[in-house]
Amino acid sequence: MERDIPMLFAINEALHLAMEADPDVIVLGEDVAGGGGRKDQGIEEAWGGIMGATRGLLKRFGPERVRDTPISEMGFMGAAVGAALTGLRPVAELMFIDFIGVCLDPLLNQAAKLRYMFGGKARVPLTVRTSTGAGLRSAAQHSQSLYWMTAGIPGLKTVIPSNPADAKGLLLAAIRDDDPVVFCEPKALMFVSGPVAEGDYTVPLGKAALVREGTDVSLVGFGRTVQTALRAAELLARDGVSADVLDLRSLQPLDEEAILATLGKTGRVVVVDEAPPRCGIASDVAALCVDKGFDLLNAPVRKVTAPHAPVPFSPVLEDAYVPTPEAVVAAARALLG
Amino acid sequence: MATALAMPKLGMTMREGRVVSWPQPVGARVEKGAVVLVIESEKAEVEIEAPAAGVLRHVYVPEGETVPSGTLLAAITETADEPFDAEAFRRVHDRPEAPAAAAGPVPPAAVPGGGTVRRTAETPVTPAARALARRLGVEPARVPGTGPGGRVTREDVEAWAARRRALVPVAEGVALEVPTEGAGDPVVLLPGFGTDVSMFARQIPVLAERWHVLGVNPRGVGLSDAPEEARYDVATMAADVAALLDEPAHVVGASLGAAVAIELALVHPERLRSLTLITPFVEADARLLAVVDAWCRVASEASAEAVARLLLPWMFSRAYLADEGRRERTARGLAATAPRVPAPTLARAAAGMRAWSGSRRTDLARLALPTLVIVAGDDLLTPDGEAVAGAIPGARCRAVPRAAHAVALEAPEAVGEAIRTHLEAR
Repeated sequence: MERDIPMLFAINEALHLAMEADPDVIVLGEDVAGGGGRKDQGIEEAWGGIMGATRGLLKRFGPERVRDTPISEMGFMGAAVGAALTGLRPVAELMFIDFIGVCLDPLLNQAAKLRYMFGGKARVPLTVRTSTGAGLRSAAQHSQSLYWMTAGIPGLKTVIPSNPADAKGLLLAAIRDDDPVVFCEPKALMFVSGPVAEGDYTVPLGKAALVREGTDVSLVGFGRTVQTALRAAELLARDGVSADVLDLRSLQPLDEEAILATLGKTGRVVVVDEAPPRCGIASDVAALCVDKGFDLLNAPVRKVTAPHAPVPFSPVLEDAYVPTPEAVVAAARALLG
Repeated sequence: MATALAMPKLGMTMREGRVVSWPQPVGARVEKGAVVLVIESEKAEVEIEAPAAGVLRHVYVPEGETVPSGTLLAAITETADEPFDAEAFRRVHDRPEAPAAAAGPVPPAAVPGGGTVRRTAETPVTPAARALARRLGVEPARVPGTGPGGRVTREDVEAWAARRRALVPVAEGVALEVPTEGAGDPVVLLPGFGTDVSMFARQIPVLAERWHVLGVNPRGVGLSDAPEEARYDVATMAADVAALLDEPAHVVGASLGAAVAIELALVHPERLRSLTLITPFVEADARLLAVVDAWCRVASEASAEAVARLLLPWMFSRAYLADEGRRERTARGLAATAPRVPAPTLARAAAGMRAWSGSRRTDLARLALPTLVIVAGDDLLTPDGEAVAGAIPGARCRAVPRAAHAVALEAPEAVGEAIRTHLEAR
């Protein structure tokens, strides 16, 4: 049965299902229990992380499996990597991906490398849940889209859902994957509802989804920009332009086949990315199109990204910073002539 | 009762038109035949007459909008107060033509922002178009580009290839683009130097009502083959036309096309039912040769728009050019046509014209076909049309005053009517 629930609830549901199904799944991070479990103070349940994604886990699975940590990303990320090496399946919550700087070593040099350096004898079935992107007026240090960084580290997988149903299925797949996966939660979508099936299911890592079919131009997005692209596709349809919209879902592994398939169909690609333009996923997709799809190109590849600047705090400026449907429409129009 | 007024299709190449103005307000009484609408097609501004008397009841497309042929533009009701459901009427009468189908005629190269399409070696071709062209054996430089900046796209190559499949072979290694329309005895249209059959866009619908109209794009023009080693002289082009015909035809030629028609009539008189010569010549004078020379040079060195601007004063009368809007639209129309006759074709056709010039002066007396010669009063390029008529036994001459060399474009109704009357008398 399907119900409409926000992405936040879908993530919460996935965590419940994963912990129910596998006693090795544990959750740790800052405020994931949120001070709950203090019966002596009359507090049984609390926030469950800054957004409330882990709410209810403490009561259901107990403090052994749902662990609050000190405000030390380096500490709990190191602990999570160690726990994964010993056979647990930890889900660590990095409150904002902006904080990755203070815990990069356990991810970059440990989690990402151990399976490789031990010749496959070690596994790191770690999931890092982390919120990404602008949209909640959280300013320059809490709004970045740094998924390009983890996607660029061999040994790490990086996924980012664009809707509640994919959020649930991708998170379950990430937790059950034997390699470290960074699960990005687009802030702007956390309270947006969509249909989600009940029960346990997974969405395969490394598989993009064609979320709208068209023939004239391909709009490629991921996370929040899928919604931007879908809106742009509606605007284009009014002018008789039919757009394919591809949701990458996984940034690493990247579904190259799906990108080249939509390029082959329309010959024209606009990539929409919330991150700044340099060294990003949009550049990566554009490079793929030119490298492996050169003879399919019927127009230049256009990138629609944030500017090369920090995310502004001013709501007006923040709204101007992120890619808009109108910018995507303009880019598509420029390709169609 | 309501009568529909839809965007007309004024020629084989017309796919859409722009509503320029509605001279009458909604609610006005109109007589049958009164001008109720002005549209702009590929070639020119056209006044559209009311198909019935009544009241201009509803206008569906405002001024300034471009819509496909067949789109419902307005409804005329007999009286001002009879019941009329605009939406229901639209559902029944709105029949817009589908966008360019693979088998349809190639639309003129789009010129975004009024810019120009340069058919030089640098014309950009997208990788997908290049790959498809390679697979289909198409030379991408010959394909008119409709992408941004005149870029040749995959769709352009596809459309070109689809049209190429419909070509008619006329000689070893030469196949011609011959768009046809209507049914009946064949009427062959031969365009002038540097243009293609779209120059007859306004006459074709009139003729197609009674005849099977075959527009012939000569060697090197439009989609027709342009073999490097082949001949482009007038006799060869006449032989191409003869090869197309499987029964005797009415042959209509304009300018250099008239030269081809004369040649055909002299060599294969049995293949013709009648002859119509529009602004013909048998001896190109110094001015015509100088204009042709400039035309060839500008086409190889400058943009299509430059070619169009050069030609305007030679091709159109002072009265026609006095209307600035009309002048600009005509320039755009010529610029859209120019890429269909690339510079090498111009140079070859010019050489053919020079070689033919004067060679048939005395032979005109041998012509025994029913012949109509249409001359223009203000024709700078071929002013001796009446003398041509005088040299052909029994030829009738119809002069269109105040029009110049491009009389078929400048006075389309008069020319269409003259041809129709001439053919009907046969």
